[in-house]
Amino acid sequence: MGEKVARRDWIKVAGAGIVGLAIGAGATYGLMPPRVERIEVKPTPKPIPKEPLRLGVVTFLSGIPAPSGIAGLRAAEIWVDWTNAAGGILGRKVELLVEDESEGVEKSVERFKKLTVEKGCEAIFGTESTSTGLAFGKLAEEMQQLWLSWDGTTQQGLEETIPNKKFSFPSIYNEAEAVAGAVLVAKYFPNVKTVAGINDDYSYGRNCWEAFMSVLKTLRPEVVPVKELWPKLGESDFTSHIAALDAAKPDLIMSSFWAGHATIFLKQAAAVGLFKKYKGAMVTAGGVLPTLKKEFVPEGVLIGCNSWYFEHPLGWPLRDKFVKEYLRRYGEYPVYECDHAFFTFQAYKAAVEKAYALKGEWPTKEEIANQLRGIKVPSLSGYRGYREDNYQICNFFLGLSKHDPRYDFVTLDPLDMVPFELMCHPPEMKFHDWVKTWKS
Amino acid sequence: MFTLDAIIGILFNGIFYGSILFLIAAGLQLIFGVQRILNLACGSFYALGVYTGVTFIEFFMGIGLPHIYFIIALIIAGLILGFIGPIIERGILKPIYAREMEFQLLATFALVLIFEDVIRFVWGIYPKISKVSPVIYGELRIGATILPIYYIFVIVISLTIALFMGFMIKKTKLGKTLRAISDNREMSAALGVNVNKFYLLSFTIGTIMGTIGGSLMAPVTAAWLGLGVEIIVYAFAVVVIGGLGSMIGAFIGAMIVGVFKGLAIAIYPELEVLIIYAVVIAILIMKPSGLFGRIEE
Amino acid sequence: MKIDIIKEVSTIIPFKNTRFTSILIILFIIALIAPYVAPPFLTYILLTFFCYVPIVIGFNLLLGYTGLLSFGHGLFVAIGMYTSVYLMRNYGVTSIEIMLILAATLSALAGFGVGLLCIRYVRIFFAMLTLAFSMVFYSFLLKFYWLTGGDEGLGIYTRPALLGMKFDTLYIMDFLTKVYYYYVLAIMVILLIFMYRITTSHFGICLRAVKENPRKADESGLNVKKYRLYAFVISAIYTGIGGALLVQVTRHVVPAITYWTYSGEIVFMTLLGGFNYFTGPIIGAFVYIVLRDLIMSLTIYWRVILGVALLLIVIFVPGGLMGGAKSLSKLIIKKRESYEFS
Repeated sequence: MGEKVARRDWIKVAGAGIVGLAIGAGATYGLMPPRVERIEVKPTPKPIPKEPLRLGVVTFLSGIPAPSGIAGLRAAEIWVDWTNAAGGILGRKVELLVEDESEGVEKSVERFKKLTVEKGCEAIFGTESTSTGLAFGKLAEEMQQLWLSWDGTTQQGLEETIPNKKFSFPSIYNEAEAVAGAVLVAKYFPNVKTVAGINDDYSYGRNCWEAFMSVLKTLRPEVVPVKELWPKLGESDFTSHIAALDAAKPDLIMSSFWAGHATIFLKQAAAVGLFKKYKGAMVTAGGVLPTLKKEFVPEGVLIGCNSWYFEHPLGWPLRDKFVKEYLRRYGEYPVYECDHAFFTFQAYKAAVEKAYALKGEWPTKEEIANQLRGIKVPSLSGYRGYREDNYQICNFFLGLSKHDPRYDFVTLDPLDMVPFELMCHPPEMKFHDWVKTWKS
Repeated sequence: MFTLDAIIGILFNGIFYGSILFLIAAGLQLIFGVQRILNLACGSFYALGVYTGVTFIEFFMGIGLPHIYFIIALIIAGLILGFIGPIIERGILKPIYAREMEFQLLATFALVLIFEDVIRFVWGIYPKISKVSPVIYGELRIGATILPIYYIFVIVISLTIALFMGFMIKKTKLGKTLRAISDNREMSAALGVNVNKFYLLSFTIGTIMGTIGGSLMAPVTAAWLGLGVEIIVYAFAVVVIGGLGSMIGAFIGAMIVGVFKGLAIAIYPELEVLIIYAVVIAILIMKPSGLFGRIEE
Repeated sequence: MKIDIIKEVSTIIPFKNTRFTSILIILFIIALIAPYVAPPFLTYILLTFFCYVPIVIGFNLLLGYTGLLSFGHGLFVAIGMYTSVYLMRNYGVTSIEIMLILAATLSALAGFGVGLLCIRYVRIFFAMLTLAFSMVFYSFLLKFYWLTGGDEGLGIYTRPALLGMKFDTLYIMDFLTKVYYYYVLAIMVILLIFMYRITTSHFGICLRAVKENPRKADESGLNVKKYRLYAFVISAIYTGIGGALLVQVTRHVVPAITYWTYSGEIVFMTLLGGFNYFTGPIIGAFVYIVLRDLIMSLTIYWRVILGVALLLIVIFVPGGLMGGAKSLSKLIIKKRESYEFS
């Protein structure tokens, strides 16, 4: 650690050197080398750097997850505009440097290093995919660079590989929405006996299905799975899957589709009236809520919106202000990734300010990380924070679909807010051990 | 294990998907058969078709066209999109017909890259979805299984195109000329055939098959980024199974992929993707030319 | 006299030429001092490029010298990568030499198997079959997630020992750009020399005979299929080694490497530089990697830029950058000649 001099310090050292040389030459002390170290040991705190604060974003700008990635990026841009208008972070203007995550891990890793080493970014935000999340978690620790994830980190992978996270701040557990969904299924559809699942054939889909079933079985021991379907991510024809689901005749169909495939699935399901026959739990479909039109999504389907719902009877000024701004800029309703993105920046700003208050000078990355642990800040969906083990804390919003004449897509009513503690196991326990404790 | 109506439902949906795959694969086959170009951009044509189809539906809903005409609007959307065929053929492929096939393949790969960004630029990043659902034409009930009439329309259209293509290639003068060009380009040219004209024709028809396949899917699916890159994998599976360049191969291959996928999903879902590759590997090992293909050294 | 030298520079076989040799030596010296003068990220990009060199020259042994276009070479990159990662994670192997040898061996075996099935065909059919095999492997990697990590892939959390030496205390970027850099550079140079030997040997000449006119080669007693298979296996070995070197840089491997679009990138690099030249693919890889890095940061529509660039090359400069440079130098020579004689 000690030998590693941050880029900014180098600039400073170099700058001091040049100034020193100039003075030296001017006073004809030409041959004396500039004594840079002396400047460093002064007891007075260093002033806050003048140059803009560079923050890197790596997220999906194209491909299947782009709707989430771009939504997060837009929220980040709005945050930067608001923050800069209010004077920046400790007076420093914030500058976003954006890179594309859609070209796979190999290139994303390269982007991370570019932002860190070449561009001198103070922290990296973003990531949607679990594979990039895994790679970035490790990279952040190795490079001693702050990384605040928005989404897509599998806790298994990160817990195994980076037990003591110092610089990496993953998002909330993968299976949170599936747990919340299972709890609400038990509440709203108490008579469900048989369940069929259709989930993406990769870690997120498998985690969700497993967690959903184990929680539901704990709450309703009589429930049995009758069908598990695993289409590959990127599939756009679910007609055969729907026929198979129909043939299995379950009481409830569960799915963790979260992007365009949620829309496609619901649409193709409508062609055979699938969700009129059977109950439905689309635990993550709220990620593309504005595309779930009333024409093909019936009322009464359980839809999960992750950490964010665009309106709420209780009201929250920051959200309303944001929704208005987002609609004005893009003509679309924001989705949950906006909240995750907005939160990471809010948390970063608050951590810098807290660390500054303690130290009196611009904090190091390590000091910022220390302040991030356990922090609580206002985000778009309300107050949310980081747990002591670097995981995000937030509540989730789920509800039953409703046809509201004010919107052309389905809205949620009743809307439930599921608290973090109900969805995420404590750090010292494994998920399955934790679920077992529910039984008592 | 399954009731009869469930089995009908499973097979029906397999055939439906097979019909769409056939249209894409047939476009690939026609272009390859005549021009000897493996068109990697066939998936992009399909994606363009879906996006344009959605836009068309939105437009016609806006001007109040009765729902019953939507399928015609969609076919027109597919046909209109065919205009990109001549542009690509004349602007990009014609200058490189004399080159090695590596260059022609690479040119279509470049098109895949370009179309991905063009789509994002024109339609944005959110999935585009038409509000029209496939149930507009009603449904057919067999026991508890519902078969949307729209799917039946699509199957019929695809089948008609398949029969028409088969007829055209085997029986008409145009087909004979195309086959002659396919067999020996120089000889045909020497005999006074305007090869360039037929190249233009076949590429345009090949493009239209892809775009119609896409536009017909517009009420059924959503248009999203990555559609073109994903579908091409299935299209390749179809042509490897059926045999490169064979129209009947495209048809049989598409049906095999559609129905096998449907059956796997119903019986053993874990095999969904692998079953198609299992067929592909088996074909590659036993008859690499595909069921109906021929390979020239 | 002068004219001859310039001509020689742009001929297919460059190493005999004195000026070319001097260029090579200069480049080598630049590569040697780069970590100490260039910004770290540039060195990192150079390192990535070095890892791609075995991949593209291996690939070009097939395309440029044997006339076989593989659209599935990502398969062998992935074998090299997964082999290394597997050895490090599951067997605690640290020696990179063992990884390289095993990666090469497994790639050779896979190359032999796939090659045996593919070399029966040429041109588009060959491209198609290799693409199919790569996609089969892709779905295998996704489906057997308990073995392969599925879509998440597998990461490595330890550092390899180079020639038995461990560098665990170094900062990761210093390790990559100051230590591993030289290791890869050395291996790359060895592989380059070896490949150059292959292409100029009797074997290489036979390959070219097979490419130019397979029937004639067959009639003159060459076992065409055998030569194609050898080329395929050597190509697979090179690609596998490239993958094994690359994975230490990315430190994570995902199935996307075997997806057909990634293989398309390798083809892109090679054609960009010009597949008729030994140095073509190397220049292509360099330009591609640097350009992509630049334009990816510049615009989100970078695919369209790459696509248009590719189209322009395909239509107007089929010889790639090397071919373009050659015709350009010819043009200059012609002008000079006309100037001198007039």
